[in-house]
Amino acid sequence: MSDENKNCCSPETGEPTATRSSAPMWIIVVTLVLLFTGGLFLDSHSGWFDKNVYAPYQSREQLESIQPKSGEKQLLARGKAVYESVCGICHGSDGLGKPGQAPALAGSEWVMAKGASRLAHIPLAGVAGAIQVGGKDWNMNMAAMGAALPDEDVAAVLTYIRSSWGNKADAVTADDVKKVRAEIGKSPQPYSGSQLLKMPE
Amino acid sequence: MKTGFSVFLAAFVALGLSWCGLVYGPLKQLGGAQETTVLQSTDKWPVQRTGDATLGLQVYRANGCAACHTELVHQTGAANVLTLTDIGVHKAADLKDFTTSLLGTVSELTTASNTVVANLAGWNGELPKVIYSGADDTVVSMLGDKFKAVGVKTEARVIATGADIARGWGTRQSVAADYLYDSPVQFGSLRAGPDLANIGVRAPDLNWQLQHLYAPRSLVKNSTMPAFRYLFTVKKIGAQPAPDALVLPKEFSPATGFEVVPTDEARQLAAYLVSLKNNAPLYEAPFTPITAAK
Ligand code: HEC
Ligand code: HEC
Repeated sequence: MSDENKNCCSPETGEPTATRSSAPMWIIVVTLVLLFTGGLFLDSHSGWFDKNVYAPYQSREQLESIQPKSGEKQLLARGKAVYESVCGICHGSDGLGKPGQAPALAGSEWVMAKGASRLAHIPLAGVAGAIQVGGKDWNMNMAAMGAALPDEDVAAVLTYIRSSWGNKADAVTADDVKKVRAEIGKSPQPYSGSQLLKMPE
Repeated sequence: MKTGFSVFLAAFVALGLSWCGLVYGPLKQLGGAQETTVLQSTDKWPVQRTGDATLGLQVYRANGCAACHTELVHQTGAANVLTLTDIGVHKAADLKDFTTSLLGTVSELTTASNTVVANLAGWNGELPKVIYSGADDTVVSMLGDKFKAVGVKTEARVIATGADIARGWGTRQSVAADYLYDSPVQFGSLRAGPDLANIGVRAPDLNWQLQHLYAPRSLVKNSTMPAFRYLFTVKKIGAQPAPDALVLPKEFSPATGFEVVPTDEARQLAAYLVSLKNNAPLYEAPFTPITAAK
């Protein structure tokens, strides 16, 4: 009885003062466990706050892996769209070129080269000076018309010109274009016809 | 108060942290959003609304349509799907055994081949036929190549899955890019009626929209959507009937000699509804549109 009184409110003890006491161990443990599981959850669900990663996707890699592969049809449709808006003004929508403006792409040996590497240099860096196309001599300039396009678009347009107007050659992939772009570097200089001819196809 | 400064500091840090999480973080993440490109095309996304459709968003907001309708499609998963589109010289009835002999020996494809065979059980030859669905795209493309080599055409597609998509409310989930030009954004939170993110795909007819707004029950039996009659004027037919008067079934038409004409607001709202389309594949919300073929 008397003990209780002392502990509680007996006036003799005077003003109560705050004392320091260490936090109980279990609170620290629980907090650490919560932080850890929270971290694990964040790691697997946040997509690292990437603005393009929405649930149910959990990371960029997963999103990349589910991207639809372009079927040939789509690649050609996209290539056609790029061609009409970028290349068609000079080379013509029939691919026959225009006298005094640009050589033909239809039947061109440059376009139907076995590999895509030499061809890809042309839109990515441009061509200048003398060049022979289908037995005809040209001596003009083409700027790097494809330098500003994404790799996929360049690949699509090259695939399109390689398989249209009677042309027949393998499709070009974005990886091919990427390689050539890396080779050319940041500030492309137009190639001459003879420089191009020295490259592997 | 001895601890005044500590209390201030603690409050400042607590409020500051929530400001970072709720205001600054999202702003950093999505603040500078710009037009994106539709997958495998050069089209820009989203398509900006013009004319009436732009004004219609304000009519939608003013009438509280968002109280019953969302504009937000959910998705719970995605899958790679392989569909048979042409079986060439082969016979539908034999395709099962043929598949076993074709794929049975390829060890990576054993499980897949079992799935395909199970899917072909009881198949009557109707095309297109879904034969495989799974998370792994390499299996799908390997299957496709095997079939292609023997003259069986297949189509590999990426599809979004989920209850909303099964209901036909969309082909993929809604993402931030879809709302770039919406101000204010009309997410809604309650679905007394269907989701409207793709109503422009489902019901692209302006007249249908107008009639549905005037008298939902004239088009949807027992519809519980309120009729928005005040967006229309009922007036006496003049010398000539108005060209834009609604054509209504008998029970819903006004008294003889009168016609129902949409106000500007109704027209704007209908134009807005028809413009609601979230159906282009995007990098962040991929799927294969129907046209692709292997
Ligand atoms: C401003 C006009 C112009 C545009 C646009 C243009 N070209 Fe050219 N292109 C030319 C000219 C001119 C030549 C010849 C250059 C020379 O004589 O050295 C040429 C040559 C070529 C050649 C090699 C010769 C041949 O006919 O096979 C290819 C390949 C080619 N262009 C592809 C493209 C592609 C792909 C695009 C679109 C990305 C494009 N061009 C856009 C003007 C243009
Ligand atoms: C009280 C809730 C409610 C409100 C408010 C409401 N709707 Fe509806 N809405 C529904 C219901 C329920 C349906 C389903 C029945 C039907 O189609 O009529 C529906 C259906 C629709 C449909 C057809 C959807 C489809 O998939 O066919 C459209 C379009 C629509 N509403 C537009 C609107 C617009 C625009 C407004 C604002 C002016 C609005 N709704 C306000 C409940 C509501």
